[in-house]
Amino acid sequence: MNEGGLRIVGEVVVFTAPRQSYAQAAYGNTEPAKQPATWLHVGTDGRATAYAGKVEYGQGIRSGLAMEVADELRLPLDAVDVVLADTDIVPWDMGTFGSQSTARVGMQLRKAAATARQALLELAADRLDLPASELDCRDGSVRSKQDQGRAVSYAELLAGQDLTRELIEDIALTPASDFTVMGKPALRVDAVARATGASQYSQDIIVPGMLFAKVIRAPSYHAKLGEIDASAAERMPGVVQVARDEHLVAVLAESDQQAELAASVVQAQWEEESGQKSHLDMPELLLSSARDPYATQEAGSLEDGFRSADAVLESMYYVPYVSNAPMEPRAAVAQWEDGKLTVWAGTQRPFGLRTELAQRFEIDEDRVRVIAPEIGGGFGSKSMYPVAHEAARLARVAGRPVRVAYSRAEEQTWATFRPAALFEIKSGFRSDGTLVAWECKAYHAGDRPFVGRRGSDTPYDVPNVNVTVYTSDSPLRVGSYRSLGGAANHFAREVHMDEIAEAVGVDPVELRLRNLSQPRFRKVLESAAERFGWSAAKPPSKRGVGVAVGLDVGSYVATCMQVGVQGTEVKVERVAAALDCGLTVNPEGAANQVEGSIVMGLGTALYEAADFQAGVLLNSGFTRYRVPRINNAPQIEVALVGDVETPSTGAGEPGIVPVAAAISNAVFDLTGERHRELPIQRHLR
Amino acid sequence: MVALQVNGEERTAEDGARNLLSFLRFDLGLTGTKYGCGEGLCGSCTVLVDGQPLRACMTTVGAVAGGSLTTIEGLAQNGELHPVQSAFVEESAMQCGYCIPGFIMTAVGLLSREPNASSAQIREALAENMCRCGTYQRIQRAVERAAGGPS
Repeated sequence: MNEGGLRIVGEVVVFTAPRQSYAQAAYGNTEPAKQPATWLHVGTDGRATAYAGKVEYGQGIRSGLAMEVADELRLPLDAVDVVLADTDIVPWDMGTFGSQSTARVGMQLRKAAATARQALLELAADRLDLPASELDCRDGSVRSKQDQGRAVSYAELLAGQDLTRELIEDIALTPASDFTVMGKPALRVDAVARATGASQYSQDIIVPGMLFAKVIRAPSYHAKLGEIDASAAERMPGVVQVARDEHLVAVLAESDQQAELAASVVQAQWEEESGQKSHLDMPELLLSSARDPYATQEAGSLEDGFRSADAVLESMYYVPYVSNAPMEPRAAVAQWEDGKLTVWAGTQRPFGLRTELAQRFEIDEDRVRVIAPEIGGGFGSKSMYPVAHEAARLARVAGRPVRVAYSRAEEQTWATFRPAALFEIKSGFRSDGTLVAWECKAYHAGDRPFVGRRGSDTPYDVPNVNVTVYTSDSPLRVGSYRSLGGAANHFAREVHMDEIAEAVGVDPVELRLRNLSQPRFRKVLESAAERFGWSAAKPPSKRGVGVAVGLDVGSYVATCMQVGVQGTEVKVERVAAALDCGLTVNPEGAANQVEGSIVMGLGTALYEAADFQAGVLLNSGFTRYRVPRINNAPQIEVALVGDVETPSTGAGEPGIVPVAAAISNAVFDLTGERHRELPIQRHLR
Repeated sequence: MVALQVNGEERTAEDGARNLLSFLRFDLGLTGTKYGCGEGLCGSCTVLVDGQPLRACMTTVGAVAGGSLTTIEGLAQNGELHPVQSAFVEESAMQCGYCIPGFIMTAVGLLSREPNASSAQIREALAENMCRCGTYQRIQRAVERAAGGPS
């Protein structure tokens, strides 16, 4: 860390209660190891460095945090550096998930920067012999408000100084009306590094003396390793050893190809588990194994509601497992030096991984350093990072640094999946489409109940409601995916709302407005419809237009779509989306996230589904697992309609929640065929 | 022993069967060229061989012996970004950025054949690459910008 200058130290940030319970349930790491920590440093060169435990995995957090610090500290954006996700350097952090980076850590950095600004004002007051109230900060200098010629730069103020100030929790922050950086479109601070190949990802870490590992993987899920003969592999060129640590066996070689070749001649016996379920068994399994009902919404009386309804509608919906499929397969390098372990791993939870490794090797946490380089996508799944454990174990056995990197097939097979889910929805409504009763039973696969609960409650005004989420058996390992179960829950609910519109012959936008009183919801829906040029019509209008709304991580979103269908191919042609995430620190970044969410949601709507049989993933590569390409991508317009005085909420996840329903609704609007099961293209003839 | 040029420098590989992507990344340390799928489907490993895009993951060093290779690290000249690189920066055409070197190399290859490529030609050429973050609209705009505007 830099010498001299001004350091702002403060308490580490813990999550708010709901996020904390999620994190605890998911990962069990909620306790900061060390307090307080340095959040901000202003150097004797006048530049600022912000420190945060967040990781950069595409959401542009480095830029967002830099903008927040630049604005509060009155510095140009290029005078702010951001150091992320090195457990030896940055404040403890629970992990990068749940769209908390801007809301929580960004806020802490703003306070740190405002504290630094106040300290600099005080230093300048002494230096210029003026009361601090007559000074202000601009462009890296403190100057007299009366006489702009009387000024002193931050660098001059800090020359020869070595100051530490405590972060002031209740310091006055810059009001939104005075922002000069936040809220304005800005280029990413790391764009050039990305465009020149200089950005370093886990896959790119090369350490002197490093061995390349090829781990002997099970041929099917739950298979147990029996006899193994590695004698031929040990004699192959470049092979240093075939390392074994309990059930982990890996060829370690001087090059990646040597390791792969030698691994291919290892003779391993596996005891495979028979009778494993396939993807075709899922709908039935979700129902038959349902347990642990949990009501996420309960009011009034369903019985009264359905009795008073003019009409009742019942439907079922199904979404399959999907792969996160980030472009960068997981990779890690581990190095032991004098009993201290350093691991480079693109995990969303560097501090959580540090705890796990310390526990595994029974060493103190300060003997473990985790560095998360750039992360080549993850969309939630890189909280879990098994290759880091493998690399650390193998490096200890080998006495040399070891790199473990998943191939594409390993990444898809051994990562986690978004759970399959089944929904039973029964609604009661009046002849004008206003809801009087809503009953939803949601069955999500996997033992992570918080996944299925997210976004399961209906935001519509309905006096009699019960939404119950069940946990069901999961043949595949489930994990986090953008919005967790939110996108699946929204798919079922928003298609069902469209069915009500169809039943009463009311335009789908109008039908939703009749049932939505929340002003922020109405605003995003009206904004998206207006941008889209939506004109009311009785569905199906044969125009191929669809709409859906959503709420995720406190942000409101609405999406309108135009689709065309040719044979078994659906082309999403045009999308207009509106997002209200409160104060948008980085509009360019937020819009980029919504665009990406729409493309990702499009894949799940039209073609993505993880297929498996007898413990084997059948589509573990891009030949069989189709994800959207540029010629599938629609023209997207994003309207950011949040109020600057409303605190920031997430922008990385909400954009996906309405997408699959809007597409399904648009296909119905065009063809008159209702699609209640994803992915849609598997059901087109 | 195989000789080739990489970003203007003479390089040699001991083994002609060496995978080109591994050679670039691990032997030369040019890690800007990425591994994404190993099957030639995602385009993250795209490099230029004598100006034409090639999937390094599906190729051996021997197959490009004597050739002149350009990787993402070799595009900028004298500290000046290549116009395609600048366009990606200006359009914020990236999120995680992992696929971006591959997209840029594919686009540079296209524009060297078709300097005024149409929007449709750009879309067709870039459909060989994948971006899971879904920044396609921005990538399209960036390459159109580099090609002299949308058509």
